[in-house]
Amino acid sequence: MGNSTGKKLNGNKVRSGVIHWVIFAIIAFVVLMPVYWIFISSITPPGELFKSPIDYLPDHPTLESYQFLVSNVGLLDKIKNTVIIIGVTLLVGTFICILGAYGFYRFSYKKGINLAFLFIVATMLIPEVVTARPLYEFMKKVGLFDTYPGLIMLYISSIVPFTILILRGFVGEIPMVLEEAAAIDGAGFWQRMWYVILPLMKPAIATVCIINFINCLNNFFTPLYYSNHIQVLSVAIVELPLRDNMYGVPWDLTSAMGWIILMPIILFVAIFEKQIMDGIMAGGVKA
Amino acid sequence: MYKSKSKAMLLLPWLLVLPVVILRAFTTVYPIITTVTDSFFDIRLLAGKNEFCGFSNYVKMFRDPKVLISISFTVIFVLVSMFFHLLLGVLLALALNMKFKGQRFLRTIVLIPWAMPSVVAGMAAKWAFNNDYGLINDLIRRIIPSFNYNWLIYRGSARAAVIAVDLWKDLPFFAILVLSNLQFISSDIYEAAKVDGASTWQSFTQITLPLIAKGVATLCIPFTLWRLTSFDLVYSMTSGGPGEDTALIAYRITTEAFTNLNIGYASAMAVVLFLIMLAFSLLNMKLTNSKKFET
Repeated sequence: MGNSTGKKLNGNKVRSGVIHWVIFAIIAFVVLMPVYWIFISSITPPGELFKSPIDYLPDHPTLESYQFLVSNVGLLDKIKNTVIIIGVTLLVGTFICILGAYGFYRFSYKKGINLAFLFIVATMLIPEVVTARPLYEFMKKVGLFDTYPGLIMLYISSIVPFTILILRGFVGEIPMVLEEAAAIDGAGFWQRMWYVILPLMKPAIATVCIINFINCLNNFFTPLYYSNHIQVLSVAIVELPLRDNMYGVPWDLTSAMGWIILMPIILFVAIFEKQIMDGIMAGGVKA
Repeated sequence: MYKSKSKAMLLLPWLLVLPVVILRAFTTVYPIITTVTDSFFDIRLLAGKNEFCGFSNYVKMFRDPKVLISISFTVIFVLVSMFFHLLLGVLLALALNMKFKGQRFLRTIVLIPWAMPSVVAGMAAKWAFNNDYGLINDLIRRIIPSFNYNWLIYRGSARAAVIAVDLWKDLPFFAILVLSNLQFISSDIYEAAKVDGASTWQSFTQITLPLIAKGVATLCIPFTLWRLTSFDLVYSMTSGGPGEDTALIAYRITTEAFTNLNIGYASAMAVVLFLIMLAFSLLNMKLTNSKKFET
């Protein structure tokens, strides 16, 4: 190869390299700038927050807004509520979905079971606004309104269709022979489930749990309308008290609460980037 | 393999699937039936009314200026947002597919908007679009120092702002799904095209676009459905304001049902929304079926 073509190729490479990093910078700016702005607002003293231009490197960083959230807004309580509800939802929800997904796949030759599966998938299309009011009345009537069991039940219901859809696909990839071998060795149903199926499904279960965790954290409609005293973080952020400012948005507290929610999400996304990508691509997400 | 023909074994399949089936039936089927029946009644809790009224809720709806504004903004919201989803989503997917050192970082950060609750984005946006202290005007003022504009108090700009935030939050998700389509295209095709002297633009329009077109079109259906029921963003960002100008239909329905307590009226709107979504879903099934048919 001639010297000149070598140089030209090199030049092209450099140019496309530059273009890559310019695109990178634009996307990174658009995505990260608001996130960074929320963060620095949360550590800026409220008095310095209402001034223009914005100081992107606050001179007097403070945790005052966070302290206020803890002592006056009950931040720790809301974190506790969020953790309890999401934790139990993931545990119980994943458990019944594994059983369901297994049943739906292995017995799909039964007409009734197959119909039941189609029913689960079809319910994905039913929006919350359509079911909200009757469900609200019902929850009140049976005493599940504003209770942990009631909320957890609705949270679980919201993750069922997506979880079943993904897990059922994975059950299909487990060779029947493995189960048959275990059955010949005398393993009963639960033993096969525990020693054969579960270990093989671990990666799929992890992916589903990661995405469900995010979906549950994002759930706003359910905790807003089906509870009152049990407040989770996503609801708390829209109901913060106004301190001494007249602009209608308690931005000092909102940004602090926003960062409390964003921090775990950013960590989560950074750690599980690969699983999340796989999960999204496998199912088209959103419960 | 299931040697024992005991009753337990016959029941097993149903025992496995019943918990999820019952849960879903209880949270969807039962309420939907109630919503449909309620829609034929004039139920106003505040006025203490509850009587059969036939189709009058449905008739009233299409003469109610508030509802008409909601419908027209919902249509605008869906069309404009989906247009930019297609345009920018494909571009973002191409960017995420670039082979370079920053790829993993780029893919990680675009997950942040997707993973955060809409209400966090909405609350932040409410302040970001503030004239005096918001992020948006602050950034603009660094280029045009005298810039002044109060985005959320005028119809057009408030609507544009809502759509912009919706795109900021949701484009990455769309792009990742487009990306999964892109990854099915083997690099051999591009190599071959290059050998034949095709430019980058040509291989994009002649190879990439035709190959992902069907997949991307299919994606549009669920994304349209999600836009039709979008609620959190408007609730937190504008509360439907200024006036009713950004009250998406899902927001309108919820306000009628939970604030104004016009249950019958809200139910009628919910039924209409549901029917529209059903029509879209049938279209979706048709599209996905024809795709299966071809491969």
